[in-house]
Amino acid sequence: MAEALAAARPRRSRLARRIARHPIGVAAAAVIVLLLAMVSFGPLLYPQSPEAANPALSLADPSAAHWFGTDELGRDVFARILAGGRVSLAVGLMSMLVGLTLGTLVGGLGGYFGGRTEMVLMRLVDVFMAIPAFFLILVIITAFGNQPGTVIVTVGLGFWAQMARVVHAEFSKYRTAEFVEATQALGASHPRTMVRHILPQVVPQAIVLATLGVGWSILSEAALSYLGLGIQPPLASWGSMLQNAQAYLWAKPILAIYPGLFIALTVLAFNTLGNALRDVLDPRD
Amino acid sequence: MRTKSGPRWKSLMLPMLAALAIAGSLSAQAQATTPSGTLTFVTNADPTLNPWTPGAVIESNLINTILFDQLTRYSTTDLTPAPDLATSWEAAPDAMSWIFHLRSGVKWSDGQPFGADDVAFTFNKVILNKDLGANNSSVFSPVDHVEVVDPLTVRFVLKSPFSSLPYYLAYFAGILPAHVLQDAPNPLQVASFNKSNPVVTGPFKVAEFVTGSYVRLEPNPDYWGPQPKVKTIVFKEVSDANTQLAQLLAGSVDMVTVTNPTLLAGVEHNPNLEVIRQSQNIWYWVALNQGDPRFTDVRVRQALLTAIDRKAIIDSVLKGYGTVATGPIAPLQKAFYDANVPSYAYDPAKAKELLAEAGWTPGPNGILQKDGKPLTITMPTGQFGYLVNATLLVQQYWKAIGVDVKVNVMEWNAYIQEVVVKRNYQATLAWWSTPPTPDITPYFSSAAAERGNNIPNYKSPELDALMAQARSATNQQDEIKVVQTIQQNVAQNLPYLFLWYPDIITVLNKRVGGMATINTPTAFQYAADWYVKP
Amino acid sequence: MTAYIVRRLLQGFVVLLMISAVTFFLINLAPGGPSSAVNFTSTASEREAVLKQYGLDRPVVVRYLDWLGHAARGDLGTSINQGLPVAKLLGQRAGATLELGLTALLLATVGGVVLGILAAAFRNRWPDHVVSALSALGMAIPGFWLGIVVIILFAVRLGWLPTSGVFSVGAQFSIVDRLRHLALPASVLAFTLMPNIVRVTRSALLEVSRSDYVRTAHAKGVRPRAVLLKHTFKNALVPVLAILGLVTTVLFSGSVVIESVFGWAGLGRLAIEAANGRDYPVILGVTLLAGAFVVVVNLVVDLLYAAVDPRIRHG
Repeated sequence: MAEALAAARPRRSRLARRIARHPIGVAAAAVIVLLLAMVSFGPLLYPQSPEAANPALSLADPSAAHWFGTDELGRDVFARILAGGRVSLAVGLMSMLVGLTLGTLVGGLGGYFGGRTEMVLMRLVDVFMAIPAFFLILVIITAFGNQPGTVIVTVGLGFWAQMARVVHAEFSKYRTAEFVEATQALGASHPRTMVRHILPQVVPQAIVLATLGVGWSILSEAALSYLGLGIQPPLASWGSMLQNAQAYLWAKPILAIYPGLFIALTVLAFNTLGNALRDVLDPRD
Repeated sequence: MRTKSGPRWKSLMLPMLAALAIAGSLSAQAQATTPSGTLTFVTNADPTLNPWTPGAVIESNLINTILFDQLTRYSTTDLTPAPDLATSWEAAPDAMSWIFHLRSGVKWSDGQPFGADDVAFTFNKVILNKDLGANNSSVFSPVDHVEVVDPLTVRFVLKSPFSSLPYYLAYFAGILPAHVLQDAPNPLQVASFNKSNPVVTGPFKVAEFVTGSYVRLEPNPDYWGPQPKVKTIVFKEVSDANTQLAQLLAGSVDMVTVTNPTLLAGVEHNPNLEVIRQSQNIWYWVALNQGDPRFTDVRVRQALLTAIDRKAIIDSVLKGYGTVATGPIAPLQKAFYDANVPSYAYDPAKAKELLAEAGWTPGPNGILQKDGKPLTITMPTGQFGYLVNATLLVQQYWKAIGVDVKVNVMEWNAYIQEVVVKRNYQATLAWWSTPPTPDITPYFSSAAAERGNNIPNYKSPELDALMAQARSATNQQDEIKVVQTIQQNVAQNLPYLFLWYPDIITVLNKRVGGMATINTPTAFQYAADWYVKP
Repeated sequence: MTAYIVRRLLQGFVVLLMISAVTFFLINLAPGGPSSAVNFTSTASEREAVLKQYGLDRPVVVRYLDWLGHAARGDLGTSINQGLPVAKLLGQRAGATLELGLTALLLATVGGVVLGILAAAFRNRWPDHVVSALSALGMAIPGFWLGIVVIILFAVRLGWLPTSGVFSVGAQFSIVDRLRHLALPASVLAFTLMPNIVRVTRSALLEVSRSDYVRTAHAKGVRPRAVLLKHTFKNALVPVLAILGLVTTVLFSGSVVIESVFGWAGLGRLAIEAANGRDYPVILGVTLLAGAFVVVVNLVVDLLYAAVDPRIRHG
């Protein structure tokens, strides 16, 4: 036991050293934490409501009371950025979870069992890869409507196939690995082998893909909202704010700038973190 | 002018004939010059060049108005019916038929003569053929069939009196060529006609149709009137409103109709552009589903209208481009409009009083309730124009008097399915755009509930009788009297909560000349008068 | 080799069949109906007449089999809202999408490979950092937002380039005019495609440069830049080709939105119009065409693979 701890300490410090080599990754993580804090606590501190309309004050310039000014209904833009950020980040994270879960499940099962299961599951993945993601999303949203749940699942469906391929490759690599055969010989069940023994090996890659997936999901939701297929009022997301601002490009172009910048910043932070994590956790590259 | 209805038409025709005379002298001056210049308009999607084909709507209406002449068109001074392919018309003394005398010497753009057979074909085989589901065909339901009296005379035989027929004939009601379409299995779905080169009688015909891009028109040498003065008219497909304005500013488009007044900020002060406010018979409304027992109490309807600050919505969402509505007949119908009806000025306190009278009192959480049930209203709305924004404001005003409103924003097609097809809603906000006729039957009659345009499913035998009486009127004095009673009735009972009449804003390049300013559909009925200023 | 191609094409065919079934049943689940029937002003009798004309009163399965039967004979049906054969609509729109897509792909590939080489040659020095910052932005900025911003800037404020469309309507055909219209949308699309290509080029070059024969070349005294270009580049082509297959799918998705921003009359806009208007045959047509395109591109990429890298053999 003591030996194990002793062995673990230098490994951890090696990890710490690798992290320290990535100041930009650390900065990206800090930005994400900051953004999460902002959208979580901001609405409690900032006094304006994101939904209260004030027709008398439409399209007002920034002021002490309204930091980013107001939109066409006189709603506070900064309050909407905070509220919209909650929705955008939540959609991003939850869509990522959907994609991650589905991808891991399909890829894992296919890779672990091989044979016919693998054949069928991976052909399914091929089909999904062959449909340009956006056409699929377009059709699904049209079919099932644009409630937040549908949007989350649909966006997640846009990238699960990619996830499945990666997980599949890892699982099929470990299917015949010695330690897996050993645990099986000791009588471990399939689910136990998969979850307790192989899954941990895939975690580093999955974390990287998941981090990148958040950025992808936020971008997808924004694009959907731009086409009027995303999150609907009275809920706002950064994407739906952009769609709204589109009508005021002449009167108030700045309305299109704020949400766009926040989307870009958030996605940039997640992508940078993802790439840094790839270097840190998955040193083969 | 040969019947009892003579005086009415004579009085209306006089100012119009004067206008025609002026137009005539202007065109005489221009006649010597050959057509020159190009006018460019925008349309938001691929048009269908047949006014009756299902689905040929806003993207096709203006092009079809130029291409297809109608029996009547609107006068450019007061929007009453004026001669187009018909030169005069009269109702039978029993009001059960109309005679239309057709213009002689009119030719289709393929050289064939136009005549009564074309009118009979358009109505009997197309509009009144229930299997085709032609656009707007249900407004002609009082028409039984059209008889050819002689090659230049037709008789509309009616099932019930229909005094406003000449108005409807001026409203996107182009006449189709029988000789081209009569052998088609479905005359509304002939691709070589609808999507390439329709045969028309208007001042312009199609020169080129590139789907997804543009339609180019050129003068029709067979046109019955004075030859057009413009050499080319182009309709570009530009779906995005911002892009339309950008092209207008850049000078590559000559006219844009702005439905969202906020967009005007960029163009209002441009020296080359002219912003024109126009009126059409358009009224926005909130429908309260009459299948919901809470809304059958007139006090509840009156209270909910009193609670909305319509002036404030007009000032913000419409940027002031509109007026508070009093009923389904807009002020531009000067002869019929009655301003002295109950108007429900914004008064939240009074709204609460009315609701209290109806049994709705504040509950513990501030939400009104009756018999322990909270006043919660689900309000679906569709993504179209400013409907979502207006709905959100109504939600806020109702919330202020203790009504809990659940707004559900839907994609447009899905919204239509829920609200129009299934009538599955409690309240909803939308609009009607109607011909400038005092006839409001399609939107209010009991027969149009559930399956027609009576969205709130309002049924009142009293209003039905009044509307039938208006349709039977054989002179304008009688008609005005009935129509005023109707306006009092609907303002009192509020089958719809009347919101506002929006101004239609047209932004025009100042180089465009000869365009009627009364409103856009009318301007496009007189495309032969347009010219390009040097 | 031929057997391989046949097998792949057969697989592709099965994939397309599945796509058609999934799309057909999904889109028929959507509430509403073709906008030519289901519009705000139509009455129930008008609506029912139009739905009947198009056979939409029949069960979904019957309609799918009917569609499939026609499709097998090469007939993709007629657009419900436009009244034109679907094949004709696709033909008209595919040209515009190809024009935009290929230009963007060309820009992205040339730009991406050049920047990738630059980044690899100056590894961990400032050009590398600038390139990676640019790529990071390309991955993070929403394409449609960038589109809106460049329209505001170059078309509205500066007036240098047209705001939308494929060409100037009514003008004589002119290459200059086409290119002016193409400039903004193709650049925006390329900017969002480029990061993948840059990244792959860079890491492929670095990997190859660590290989034995490149080291040998170095040892023989060949100048480092020359080694990079001559020896390394050819071997680095394989992964770059691989990413092109992936980029093509992304390209289709990206063009849906970019075409909307720039009013580009291509397949993407057609898909959105058809979905909004519930034009069932058109949606099926567009999705199938896109699917077929992806299948073919992936096959071609795999074959090119074999041509470039002699170690890969398809049997």
